[in-house]
Amino acid sequence: MITPQRSSSGSSQSPRSPSSQPFLSVSVTDPAKMGNGVQAYISYKVITKTNLPEYQGPEKIVIRRYSDFVWLRDRLFEKYKGIFIPPLPEKSTVEKFRFSAEFIEMRRQALDIFVNRIASHHELQQSDELRTFLQADEQTMERARFQDTGIFKKKPADLMQIFKDVQSKVSDVVLGKEKPVEESNPEYEKLKHYIFELENHLAEAQKHAYRLVKRHRELGQSLSDFGTAVKLLGACEGNTLGKAFSELGAKSEVLSIKLQKESYHLLMNFEEPLKDYVRAVQSIKATIAERANAFRQQFELAETVKLKEIDLNKLRLTRSEKMVDAEHEYEELKEDSEEAIRRFEMIVRLMNEEIVRFQEQKTLDMGLAFHEFAKGQARLANGIADAWRSLLPKLEACSSSQH
Amino acid sequence: MITQQRSLSGSSQSPRSPSSQPFLSVSVTDPAKMGNGVQAYISYKVITKTNLPEYQGPEKIVIRRYSDFVWLHDRVFEKYKGIFIPPLPEKSTVEKFRFSAEFIEMRRQALDIFVNRIASHHELQQSEDLRTFLQADEQTMERARSQETGIFKKKPADLMQIFKDVQSKVSDMVLGKEKPVEESNPEYEKLKHYIFELEDHLAEAQKHAYRLVKRHRELGQSLSDFGNAVKLLGACEGNALGKAFSELGVKSEILSIKLQKEANHLLMNFEEPLKDYFRAVQSIKATIGERASAFRQQCELAETIKLKEIDLNKLRLTRSERMADVEDEYEELKADGEEATRRFETIVRLMNEEIVRFQEQKTLDMGLAFHEFAKGQARLANAIADGWRSLLPKLEACSSSQH
Repeated sequence: MITPQRSSSGSSQSPRSPSSQPFLSVSVTDPAKMGNGVQAYISYKVITKTNLPEYQGPEKIVIRRYSDFVWLRDRLFEKYKGIFIPPLPEKSTVEKFRFSAEFIEMRRQALDIFVNRIASHHELQQSDELRTFLQADEQTMERARFQDTGIFKKKPADLMQIFKDVQSKVSDVVLGKEKPVEESNPEYEKLKHYIFELENHLAEAQKHAYRLVKRHRELGQSLSDFGTAVKLLGACEGNTLGKAFSELGAKSEVLSIKLQKESYHLLMNFEEPLKDYVRAVQSIKATIAERANAFRQQFELAETVKLKEIDLNKLRLTRSEKMVDAEHEYEELKEDSEEAIRRFEMIVRLMNEEIVRFQEQKTLDMGLAFHEFAKGQARLANGIADAWRSLLPKLEACSSSQH
Repeated sequence: MITQQRSLSGSSQSPRSPSSQPFLSVSVTDPAKMGNGVQAYISYKVITKTNLPEYQGPEKIVIRRYSDFVWLHDRVFEKYKGIFIPPLPEKSTVEKFRFSAEFIEMRRQALDIFVNRIASHHELQQSEDLRTFLQADEQTMERARSQETGIFKKKPADLMQIFKDVQSKVSDMVLGKEKPVEESNPEYEKLKHYIFELEDHLAEAQKHAYRLVKRHRELGQSLSDFGNAVKLLGACEGNALGKAFSELGVKSEILSIKLQKEANHLLMNFEEPLKDYFRAVQSIKATIGERASAFRQQCELAETIKLKEIDLNKLRLTRSERMADVEDEYEELKADGEEATRRFETIVRLMNEEIVRFQEQKTLDMGLAFHEFAKGQARLANAIADGWRSLLPKLEACSSSQH
């Protein structure tokens, strides 16, 4: 199962940890359909096992729905700028698949991975929001969710918009300067370029991985139909040849099932991880936007402070009564500016740690996913080869002897 | 090559025959596009190697087109009632495929098999029409073809229509008798039932075999696109993981080519033989139609003779002057009746031999085709399994070590 393997790096999910070691283990299970019609949704059981003092241990079970996970993600994104917040599975846009068994299982797995990544991140696991999510009763959770519409419920797309707004605002402020207000950091430029390129290539790879799943299914279906037709042919012939046909038909049907199984395995253990990687990269892009945002704010304030200083000195010379107020404003601006610099520098520091964490985790995850891919394909192919080989002696008998 | 294997049973095509043994060896080769636009067609080289005295040996090359083969088929069908005439490949209905390399090669193979089956059939190989086909110059051939429109150019569909016409005519004649004018031969009934059932099941099997070919191609294409996308991903990553990606991408492309090859092999060595079997069964249906036709003619004449005899006896009693004429008519009718009976019995005798020949040949052909199928599938699956297995150590290295 991919879930435990993914969380074991850095997580304390292993049941083998001694009970004196702090551990926090979460699982998202038991999807259940609630309500009817357009109001219908899926609820999940979130089971927390822990010995941490901040939690009501040793075990707590709460009921959560998709929007609760969205709330958690958005709050963390707001609060922990610089950290690559684990990504969520997409909202389903196609109504008819919203309650298909496959979709529900894929979503459940992705949500389980999401929460566990938060629970195993050394900073994020200490957040109040996680504790609320894992422990609050349903009414408290619902209240928290509703409170956050408007102010905090910003999506990465919204943040990109803010990014653009700030950029245009700064261009107005920084009069006459032609150069764009961006960090001039070659290492960082390289990283941004890498992330944007990666996103494109990943999207392509994921699209084709999904098509591969589809083609496996179609081949499997074709083989099954073929098997049925050949069995009927065999029944019609009714001699040695007929028996060979019937066996070939039966074998085709067996292999068809193997193909369907492998296509499902491909979907869960390869295409989904690829999609997860795409989402992770998009989450990094959102953090990149946050950093640019913070950079601009810091830059903007620095400029404003300079202008204020010039103003203040003018007022000092003329000994204006406005000087005291201007002094206060100047002090406030200096504080804001220092705060903005601190925020920016924290994002930079966190991002540097996050990049290392991301590269390591990704290498593991992707290595695993591609390993699963090749293993599954080899296993399927071997199964198919053995099945056909077992038939060859019988068919050889038919083609050389007379009936 | 299936062509030679198919012709070996009973044919004298082997180049190992001592030159004193009579042999007749034909090959249809070198398809070439002639003419332009809507008038364009494919011509084939028909090479005859023989030591039979009736032929201009030892080698003769003529140029033939599809309609010449149709002429040969129709003439032989007219003349050798009771024999299962080897079937022709269909006329291409889809214009855009008429000159595709695949279609041309499939047709060439099928025409080669067609001529060789005639040349290796102990009765058909003695026909003058075959000699004309194999030796006449192009103008003579064209003249023969044009002469045949109208009278002799009957297709099995037309014969089925005649069948129905005769049936309704006889119902009119056989006044008051309710039972249909068909042979009451339980063995033969079983055979007819078997042939009709076989036709349905073969059509289904062939349809699904063709779909299987298509699905192999689609999976191959998908794997190729996937390989491309993963290679780009690998280039973007550029470390141990990236190298693993690139190798996986390259492997995908190699395996994609194997899939396309197998799809082709499936088409030529499995789906085509199935289609050929299907056409052979339709040819048998046409012979069944001929037999029914001959049976009715014979019944019809027998009835007519009885009525004539009654007439004649009446005239004898009254000593009419018409008696002499009617006696002549009666004798003629009796001769016709005997001829019709002979024709019917010839068809029955030939059919009995043909059925045995058909069953034997079919068992060989189908055994071979299904053997090729299983072999090809096993070969492909093994190659795929080996391909993926060779990658596993490298991918294992990625998923366990850090980059």
